[in-house]
Amino acid sequence: MARIIRTIIIALLAAIMLFPLLYAFSASFFPPEDFTASEARFLPSHISFRGYALALGHRYFGRYMLNSFITALMSATLRTAVSVLAAFAFTHLSFRGKRIILTALLATLFIPPDAMLYENYTAIARMGLLDSYAGIVLPSIFSASAMLLTMGSYAAADRDIYDAARMDGTGDLGYIARMLVPLAAPVSITVFIQAFISSFNSYLWPLLVTVRPRMRTIQIGIAMLGFAEEGEYGAQFAAIIIMTAPFLLLLLAARRLIMKAISGGIS
Amino acid sequence: MKRGNEATNSHFPKAYYYLQRNYTLQCLKIAFIMVTLPSDMDRRELKAYAFLLPSILLAAVFAFYPLARSIIGSFLTVSQSGRILGIAGLGNYISLLHDPAFISSIGNTVAFTIPFLLLNTSITLLAAALTRKETRGTSIAESIFIAPLAFSLSALALIFRGIFRGSVSIASRITGLDIAWLEEPVSAMAVLVLMGVFLDFALDYILLLSSFRSIDRSILEAAEIDGASGSRIFLSIELPAAASMLHTTIFIALKDAVLISAPVMVLTGGGPFRSTETVMYYYYLEAFRSGNRAVGTTIATLMVLSSAVIMSLVMRRRRNG
Repeated sequence: MARIIRTIIIALLAAIMLFPLLYAFSASFFPPEDFTASEARFLPSHISFRGYALALGHRYFGRYMLNSFITALMSATLRTAVSVLAAFAFTHLSFRGKRIILTALLATLFIPPDAMLYENYTAIARMGLLDSYAGIVLPSIFSASAMLLTMGSYAAADRDIYDAARMDGTGDLGYIARMLVPLAAPVSITVFIQAFISSFNSYLWPLLVTVRPRMRTIQIGIAMLGFAEEGEYGAQFAAIIIMTAPFLLLLLAARRLIMKAISGGIS
Repeated sequence: MKRGNEATNSHFPKAYYYLQRNYTLQCLKIAFIMVTLPSDMDRRELKAYAFLLPSILLAAVFAFYPLARSIIGSFLTVSQSGRILGIAGLGNYISLLHDPAFISSIGNTVAFTIPFLLLNTSITLLAAALTRKETRGTSIAESIFIAPLAFSLSALALIFRGIFRGSVSIASRITGLDIAWLEEPVSAMAVLVLMGVFLDFALDYILLLSSFRSIDRSILEAAEIDGASGSRIFLSIELPAAASMLHTTIFIALKDAVLISAPVMVLTGGGPFRSTETVMYYYYLEAFRSGNRAVGTTIATLMVLSSAVIMSLVMRRRRNG
């Protein structure tokens, strides 16, 4: 009995969580008249590919996707690299001011980026980086939590290997590239995945620092494709499905890895 | 003798000139030498600083510098073009407290935060508790529960706008309520809360689930052998074990809720009748649309303070627990 109730509750919750996805998928095949029907529809009256044709045929759609991938890749790569370098210094080297620098860097956890939007915007504008990939990416590269996460994993690294590598005349960069990063690969993968997702999904910042349509990312571009204004809601849903599908498939294929990556970030 | 003197005299400025002209090159060279040559203690120290340089620079330029500018700016009177006109003291804070739009934005933020926290916490806890034991069915449920993670904010907002659009929306058909959801203050806030839950659900679910599953199996098995019922085990062993993570997710959700701005912007635009205009959305409107720097810097300073308070509560608990 308890098991049946449990299953029912799970199914109910699952139905709620799945509804927006199912509706978006179904609506992407709606012919235009289905959106204006007097009774709201859940399934299309007949399957129409008009939405997909319009979305894929839009002159900026591909460009927006490309911009998002480039900036997310840049942000994730640079954040991982910057975190690795800093974490190495804090865990393997001794130097004056270590405590103060570490405290200062961790203090950035207390500064919400959303409250710094305006000042960062003026800074990026004064650097002449509006409408550039650098302008979109730069403020998101350093992350104290990514650094902290990497440090946690590097602190456990075997110091004997480091000492042996130095005896052999291997430089620190060589040690990092050939020993530390491969040995502690899960943490860098975690940092990379988290940074990629958060950069790909970021909305407010790219909206502020991009002006020309060519530089927009898909997150802001998707509302600016102009479909809703023309009543082409089907095309808008098709664009959402095209944008979301790769992530959804990746998420389902690598579910265990991603769940581990996310829970590794906080615990 | 004379010749030698000349040579030494002219040598120094020449080198100086050379250095200045190739300043960038020299800096690169020094950085390269510092990083690549392993040697005595001093050089190793320099090397540590070189490794930290990107982090320090980025944190300084994009976190501490804007923070300092916000705090200082909140005590000054600044013109629209950014010229300092005088010292305002607490003037900006006082006029902000007399600004009815700001006060109502605080009310709207609270009206979002409380139902959001209650709904988000109960639903994520329920989902994680029900799927904590791995059976054949739970992996399907797990996949469905983490699926919202694939949706970005703007995609989800557009879908929600589609589901709740107009007076004959699919949401009205399902619930049987004849409401133009996004055109009434109360229902618009309800939709915003619901979207907030969709945005946070997958992440909190994963965190809670992993903390349930990281409990030592042998303790649970021992309790089972002792004849403890399933609900008893859950209440006195599993829930307390996950309490620290639950605390963390609640406080992170609280911080996100207090700082909410982008979902408001894409879903309701603050409407109807400014009923969903939260503090951070008001900040955005004032700083970017109205160019009102005084209000912008003052709200930014206040929000840094409040989020710092919330974050330190998280940290304190985690250190103790």
